[in-house]
Amino acid sequence: MFSSSAHRESWEQRRLDLHKLKTANHFSLFIVFGFFLFLLSNRVDELRVYQGASVAVFVIAISSIILLTGYSGQVSLGHGALMAIGAYGAAVARNELHIPIILALVVAVLLASVGGALLGAAAARLSGPYLAGTTLALAVGLPSLANQFAILGGEQGLVFDVGSPPTKLGADFTQYKWFFWIAALAALISMWLLSNILRSRYGRNWRAGRSNEVAAQLSGINTGRSKILAFTLSAGIAGLAGALLSMTIGTVSPSAFPLTLSFSLLTGAVLSGVSTLSGVMIGAVTLVAIPEIADVVANRIGSSENITTNLPGLMVSTLLILAVLFVPNGPVEQHRARTAKKAAKKKS
Amino acid sequence: MKAMNRRKLFSVSAVLAAASLVATAIPANAAEVGVTASEIKLGMTLPMTGTASLGYNKIPGAAKAYFDYLNANGGVNGRKITLIVKDDQYVPTQAVTKTNELILKDKVMALLAPLGTANVKAVASSVNPAKRGVPVLFVNTGFSGFADVKKYPTTYSILPSYIMEAKIMGKYIAENLSGKKVGLLYQDDDFGSDALAGFKAAGTNFTVKVPYASGSQSAATAAGWITKFKAAEVDVVILFGVTSASLYMLATAAALKYSPQWMIDSVGGDSTTLKLAGVPAGVLYNAIGFSPVPATTDLTDEYVKLFSDIYAKAVPGSAFDLNVLLGMNSAFMTAQALKAAGQNPTRKSLMAVLNTKGSTLFNSALSPVGYTGTSHVGLTGEWVGKYSPTGDLLPIGGIYTTYTTDSGAGAVVKSTYKRPAMPAKGLTN
Repeated sequence: MFSSSAHRESWEQRRLDLHKLKTANHFSLFIVFGFFLFLLSNRVDELRVYQGASVAVFVIAISSIILLTGYSGQVSLGHGALMAIGAYGAAVARNELHIPIILALVVAVLLASVGGALLGAAAARLSGPYLAGTTLALAVGLPSLANQFAILGGEQGLVFDVGSPPTKLGADFTQYKWFFWIAALAALISMWLLSNILRSRYGRNWRAGRSNEVAAQLSGINTGRSKILAFTLSAGIAGLAGALLSMTIGTVSPSAFPLTLSFSLLTGAVLSGVSTLSGVMIGAVTLVAIPEIADVVANRIGSSENITTNLPGLMVSTLLILAVLFVPNGPVEQHRARTAKKAAKKKS
Repeated sequence: MKAMNRRKLFSVSAVLAAASLVATAIPANAAEVGVTASEIKLGMTLPMTGTASLGYNKIPGAAKAYFDYLNANGGVNGRKITLIVKDDQYVPTQAVTKTNELILKDKVMALLAPLGTANVKAVASSVNPAKRGVPVLFVNTGFSGFADVKKYPTTYSILPSYIMEAKIMGKYIAENLSGKKVGLLYQDDDFGSDALAGFKAAGTNFTVKVPYASGSQSAATAAGWITKFKAAEVDVVILFGVTSASLYMLATAAALKYSPQWMIDSVGGDSTTLKLAGVPAGVLYNAIGFSPVPATTDLTDEYVKLFSDIYAKAVPGSAFDLNVLLGMNSAFMTAQALKAAGQNPTRKSLMAVLNTKGSTLFNSALSPVGYTGTSHVGLTGEWVGKYSPTGDLLPIGGIYTTYTTDSGAGAVVKSTYKRPAMPAKGLTN
């Protein structure tokens, strides 16, 4: 009896150690990745640096969808609206209070989280198409609310200027590289936090609730609260992405957050694989690369304007259909499942 | 565990190294960016798809039609002009992304005719063409702020500012419609605040002013506007907005049989676009309209005749309208400025030409542009017309009377400008 409990303790201790080890390892992996990004940003031309910043923004935005949909099992068609809340929050705080950019980003996260908590409270009572409808309405309606308040600058929006890069970085240090540094650092930090949260008790609760809500409740999980928490956290991350998106375009306006933004984020999440965070780069890079690839293809086949303007949409849709057909859980999960199967076969 | 991480690390670094190798090869440029021995590259972003593209998506085809015509006749100093067009869907994020591609990847010499106040502003603050020294020629917005050389040193307006237009409208009302109750529909942003400033300068009083949000017009919102105008019992309704606003207003008014004296601004009053979108010509009939360029149906005008011939050959089946005329006019002015910028034009010499000789460039409009070293004001006047029974805007009494003014406190006066004869075949090379 005694010995078995001691055995259990040591087993749990080992698991805990393993968990810590994993966290630490991940941490160093993120540091190394960050260092590579830093080196890379010095090697490539300005356009790639700008695209890199866009990828980082999409990584953050898509990961917030993956957290919400893949882990906690809730659908949101309205993440564009949550991004808008963050963007407006950051811009107003920066313009009115002249706070440093890092604080403006914190404001973005906090404001969007509050919005997400409110939405989440409603969302916890809804599911499936009803939840999709509610969030969709938000995406349609919320950004144009900015037209009602003078402080939000109407249709023209607000200037959101994060300032020039510090002079000690040198005269050659471009504005876009500065954007990239800020966005990439934010992406690395939020991905590290997220990947840890998802492996924590909360992450397990979310997955339990998603798999079988009744079973989760029976095992003592307050699924309602758990869902609201997921929505709040997801909204906070979306708000960060929104603020960073506005940083890259220098302004915040309702038209920067169209319905298509929410949809393309979902597309990115499906391409990444909604149930795993590790594929998020795939979706983000695809969203940024597709228009450029489309451009090249259209030029090669001697395009008319019609082809050039419609090709990106066609390519994204085709990819989406292919992904749903062949890698419904995303390429990363698919690969993992296949290797696991192979390993199992080898064993037997 | 460790082995796996190492493998991950290895593959990540391999991918990154490969990516950086691919991305480093940038060719060196000897001459000006976008100018080679045989070609001058220009770039344009504007809505080609989406609701906001209505009518405006003809502008690139129009500009290309003129450039192709010019190229077929020898180009500019032996160089052909290539126009690269990208669709921004009227979304600032896209406008910035696409402009970045034009400047950094396609390496265009200058940007031509980008559209929309919000988009031009976003591009100015993120891409910052001013800092890069990239000229932004003939922006398709009448926002008076873009004429500010200090704020937008490389940006050139072309449309008369909304302030000028409102002042000219105000003068017309004072002279012809005094004592009438006037209502105003305006866009709730810089577009509208320009309009209000102009009407204030002109001393126009409104019985009712109805603001609308630029992103949200529909038949239902238009019905709401009409209720307000009806309640105020106005005789004259001024539509000071974009094409989609005039479109919903006029179409809904037709359905509700509401017919005050309409007065429509130039950017929202292109009759071809309105009629194609379903506004009956009868509703337009007798409305008062304004335009900086000759009536697009006026084939006695040498520019309209030539441009519509060129356009009909280049884009068969597409109607010649105000957007086409303005697009071709901008291309025509660009070609002249490039020609005047010297044997080997640079971004700097191109802007120097516009600053010093901009107002002398041939131009189909009935007023000159107001470029000087200290101002980038575009066209400085408009004529007043009435829509015909077929819904076409024609000058009152068949004669163009152009009024000219500024964006400040200056008076509105009849223009004495005599447009110089068009260069032979519309070519200056």
